[in-house]
Amino acid sequence: MPHQCTNCGHTFPDGSKEMLSGCPDCGGNKFQFTPDSDSESSAEDGADGDAGPETPPPTSDPSDEGADGVASRAAETVRGWVSSDSSDESTHDPAESPAADRPTTSAGSSDRDGTNSRSGETADASRDANSSRNSRSPSTRSGDRSRAATDRDDDSFTEWPDSARRPEDRSSSPAESATDDAADDRAVSEPSTSDRRTDSSSDGSSERSELDHETVTMADSEDSAQATARSEVVPADDLPAGSSAAGEGDPITEVDPVDDEPEETPDHGRVVSEPSGEQPSIEELRAELNEQFESIKILRPGQYELNLMELYNRDEYIISLQEDGRYVIDVPESWHDDVDE
Amino acid sequence: MGLLTGLKDSISRVTDRLFTDDQPKRIGIYGPPNAGKTTLANRIARDWTGDAVGTESHVPHETRRARRKEDVEIERDGQSVSIDIVDTPGVTTKVDYEEFTDEMEEDDAIRRSREATEGVAEAMHWLREDVDGVIYVLDSAEDPITQVNTMLIGIIESRDLPVLIFANKIDLDEASVKRIEDAFPQHKTVPLSAKEGQNMDEVYDNIAEYFG
Repeated sequence: MPHQCTNCGHTFPDGSKEMLSGCPDCGGNKFQFTPDSDSESSAEDGADGDAGPETPPPTSDPSDEGADGVASRAAETVRGWVSSDSSDESTHDPAESPAADRPTTSAGSSDRDGTNSRSGETADASRDANSSRNSRSPSTRSGDRSRAATDRDDDSFTEWPDSARRPEDRSSSPAESATDDAADDRAVSEPSTSDRRTDSSSDGSSERSELDHETVTMADSEDSAQATARSEVVPADDLPAGSSAAGEGDPITEVDPVDDEPEETPDHGRVVSEPSGEQPSIEELRAELNEQFESIKILRPGQYELNLMELYNRDEYIISLQEDGRYVIDVPESWHDDVDE
Repeated sequence: MGLLTGLKDSISRVTDRLFTDDQPKRIGIYGPPNAGKTTLANRIARDWTGDAVGTESHVPHETRRARRKEDVEIERDGQSVSIDIVDTPGVTTKVDYEEFTDEMEEDDAIRRSREATEGVAEAMHWLREDVDGVIYVLDSAEDPITQVNTMLIGIIESRDLPVLIFANKIDLDEASVKRIEDAFPQHKTVPLSAKEGQNMDEVYDNIAEYFG
């Protein structure tokens, strides 16, 4: 139940138009977006996690999570758009906390980040392999690392990659995350797990399937990454054939999932097109935004662009998108009451 | 034929009474921010009812909710015209809190900005459904040809609402009434200074004529 009235708690399914005229139960006009009735942070995650696959046409959403309604998509879109905009300008909005800024900076590429975080673990694993010379030991380390990331993320949103992954975890079976840790034991099962995760939350887009490829690529390169790491301590003859080329640079680019930038990802040959999809997506998001938030664009808190014709033509207005995915829909009737007082 | 004419007359008498007596026409005062809408609304309200409508300020977006003053009776030539005056927030396509940060704390500026945005939405809504005529107020010291002015005048014309353009702030040195007349030659332009009370007789004459 992604939309919830903040007044009475009435929930609305994605795409519900009911709430556009106020909450039918209590008449409230403030709602929040909660993909999962979890904590605030998971709502945040949900919104951000979906922002990535936002770029492809949402009509092709086959999964349950993909049955996005206009409002929810728009809310996510605005989050993504506002943030990418602000990151573009490298602005300094004091009203927007760094914590809120951080996840949204990569909102448009959440899935990639999520994937990279996994490959980050992979790289981590390979480093561990290097230090311990034991191919099994990384599993525990990387498990720890992911848990640590989760902890950090609970405190704030600074650790984006983990928050990017969680909505996917949610959308897949709950056992998945357990599988995740367990699967780390075997290098091969980790990629397949992540692959499945990507599938389960997939929006069925081509970009998504590309992501799958990417995951596979990274999965393949996990061996090579390890091999590269091992190459420092193991004779080259012992390394698997063909691994060295692909493995080159992997540990470096993928080591820090937080800092990884789109331009670093293309180190993987097959991934090149993926980040490039993000640049025009600002325009796409703007177009989508125009479509859905036609009347008022929120550049950031305190800065608005108004479409007078739409304001004139429309009955209801989504007036303010607030932090944490909350937004206020102002219904003209409520103005009448106030004004007529 | 005489019967038909008589019927017509009685109908128009009824509608006349509907508008003049039972339901005063609701006149929206529209215009860009800081054109002097509230100053004008206050001037009219004070002249005919003794009350003010709202707070005036040199900081844009002081009026962020539409305010209505009902049953303002304006007497002209022995006849009385009753109107409701709706002072609306200044209409703009962009609201930026940084415009106000010189005047107030940043948090207040952001809140003002958000409220102003809601105010514009409200003003546009009123324009669609709740006004019977429009007084469009412009600052004569500013260039009248803007996107907002053109669009709003266009909307008003498309609704066939009676509209008067008030070229306000003629007390300023840079004021140019002609610039406004040239920009919107299809409408009657009335020069005035709401702040100084200049040319208010002509203002009331025109209000009575257009909206009476």
